[in-house]
Amino acid sequence: MRAYYQLTLAQLRIFLRNRQVLFWTLAFPIFLMIMLGSFLGNGNGISLTVAVVDQDNSEQSKLLVKELKKNKAITIEKSSDEKNMLQLLKDGDLQLVVTIPEGYAKSLAAGEGTNPFKLPVYYNETNLTVSQVGLQLVNNAVDTISKKQVDYKPVVVTDSKGVEALNLRYIDFLVPGIVAMMIMSNNMNGVAGQISSWRERGILRRMQGTTLKASTFIAAQITARFMLNGLQAMIVLGVAWAVFGIEVRGSWLTVVAFVTLGTLAFMAIGFIIAGIAKTPESAGPIAGFLSFPMLFLGGVFFPIKDMPEFIQPIVQVLPIAHLSHALRETMNVGASFMDLGMEAIILSCWLIGAFIAASFTFKWE
Amino acid sequence: MESSEEIIKVQGLVKRYGDFTAVDGSEFSVHKGEVFGLLGPNGAGKTTTLEMLVGLRKPDEGTAIVGGYDITRELDKVKEVIGVQLQSTTLFELLTVEEILHLYGSFYREHISIPDLIEDMLLTEKKNSRIKGLSGGQKQRLAIALALVHDPQIIFLDEPTTGLDPQARRTLWDIILRLKERGKTVVLTTHYMDEAHVLCDRIAIMDQGKLIALDTPGELVKNLQSDSAVEFRFDEEADVVLSEIEGVKQVGSQKDVHILYTDNLQQTLTSLIAIASEKELRLVDLQTRTATLEDVFIHMTGRRLREG
Ligand SMILES: Nc1ncnc2c1ncn2[C@@H]1O[C@H](COP(=O)(O)OP(=O)(O)OP(=O)(O)O)[C@@H](O)[C@H]1O
Ligand SMILES: [Mg+2]
Repeated sequence: MRAYYQLTLAQLRIFLRNRQVLFWTLAFPIFLMIMLGSFLGNGNGISLTVAVVDQDNSEQSKLLVKELKKNKAITIEKSSDEKNMLQLLKDGDLQLVVTIPEGYAKSLAAGEGTNPFKLPVYYNETNLTVSQVGLQLVNNAVDTISKKQVDYKPVVVTDSKGVEALNLRYIDFLVPGIVAMMIMSNNMNGVAGQISSWRERGILRRMQGTTLKASTFIAAQITARFMLNGLQAMIVLGVAWAVFGIEVRGSWLTVVAFVTLGTLAFMAIGFIIAGIAKTPESAGPIAGFLSFPMLFLGGVFFPIKDMPEFIQPIVQVLPIAHLSHALRETMNVGASFMDLGMEAIILSCWLIGAFIAASFTFKWE
Repeated sequence: MESSEEIIKVQGLVKRYGDFTAVDGSEFSVHKGEVFGLLGPNGAGKTTTLEMLVGLRKPDEGTAIVGGYDITRELDKVKEVIGVQLQSTTLFELLTVEEILHLYGSFYREHISIPDLIEDMLLTEKKNSRIKGLSGGQKQRLAIALALVHDPQIIFLDEPTTGLDPQARRTLWDIILRLKERGKTVVLTTHYMDEAHVLCDRIAIMDQGKLIALDTPGELVKNLQSDSAVEFRFDEEADVVLSEIEGVKQVGSQKDVHILYTDNLQQTLTSLIAIASEKELRLVDLQTRTATLEDVFIHMTGRRLREG
């Protein structure tokens, strides 16, 4: 117990005295956030003009339009000329075109048992970020309708995201992603680099000559890193709040829970890399090899949905994808921990699997 | 203080690296309370032997009993009774002397008073300095302090004085002799003859993985059966049978340097000079001295302990 406390303390001291590392591990995510945030969609939020082509002209279709109008981020433009609207969409004058085909009301009335109604929504792939946000908002409206219609059983296909009338900006999307990225790189790359360099320099070997147990060492390492990375995540969130007015809509406990899960999972992966890497020089590239694809595929900067079909299955198992998604849902939408059970389970699987693998690959020298 | 109680018993230790045998069946005992030296040239297997005894390398064959426990089966117990200073110790450079001693102290069930230990190791002035900024000698004293932090019975020191200036070496010798006074058993490795002579009660000489001699420094030198050495070179290739020079008991030669061992220095010198004159050879770098451990080594292996 004394060893655990002393090792944790020692690790924290080493962190705090290593000013440069401390500075740059913080400076990078903050810099990235401010750069991307200022270039892409800061300010008044994304203004969305959505054209609605109501071919059904029923009570039900009007209800849907009303639901869409509720959202302040959306400007609705009614029209009956679908072709013209699609042209405007191509030109970039519109962000989305929603067509309510004839028979919409009938299909809803048929209700339960029938297939959910498919509502065509057109968007412009060349402007993915904005379309993505728009799609989400339309989904919400549809979702609300759908829930109102039949006791919460979907009759219209939805991407059941509980977004209410949110003014979602790119920066809202970005900040949770950056926090996830930070957790990944500080833990995975940090652990891999530090442990392998301590091993190379014989620091671990010297400790092996004492009665210290590997489990105590690892536990202290985890505790210290967790404290530091938790603090760093909070600082980034603080900056995001101060500069962009980002807030955590869900519970802080849920955010903390996912920061914890993510930290542990990526640390465990870091221990595996440290175990595999023969030299500290090779630990860097191995960690990079894993973290780079995760950065781009894991929904840090771009929504996962924008990824091509064939990589979707890969993306769906990446721990970073679930971490960033969970953080995003909590912060942007206010999802509760219960809503994010799947993410929690997948991250836990990574954590447990990686720790088992790490305990087999851990070497003092 | 020294007793004949065997506190370390090494039984046929073998360590191989591929085809290469680094330690080839070492067999020796260390008595409680003595300073035991492992002496040998680079690559002799000193570090390998020592690190097997402290559990950092696994022997391929054989075992050893250290402080009453078997190193292959009861390593955890062994670690409680031993303190280790490795040949190349790196520590957390950003911690201070005092902090790292507290850290290592916490790895054991109990530890001695850290301020006392710092004072003993002459580190009081540096106790709040980071390890990064310590001098070589201070680092070495800190490494030894770490070995002592839990008051172990047996202390292993791998080349404690290599790379230090004469002053710092002497300081360390004092520290090691004080450990002996306090009844500790010390096992150390060294290349330095003078050091082995001053510090060690008994010396094991190793060469190419084998133990080639084990005795007190005095006995080892005495067994040379000659108390003087004559060392010289010829200025050119010479065809002389050195063992036929009068009074010579043994000849040790390496490259072009010749060493004659004799009990009758005057007789040997006269004879050597006569032969040189007769064959018109010039003697270079001629010197005479009393035989030392170095000579024991040269005699046994035909090589010097340190190159150059
Ligand atoms: N990990 C290893 N892999 C392969 N060979 C090794 C390894 N460790 C040591 N050796 C070899 O074993 C031999 C003995 O090495 P060891 O370090 O025990 O020598 P030493 O007597 O301590 O030498 P020195 O005085 O230079 O410290 C050397 O030839 C060395 O090259
Ligand atoms: Mg050595």
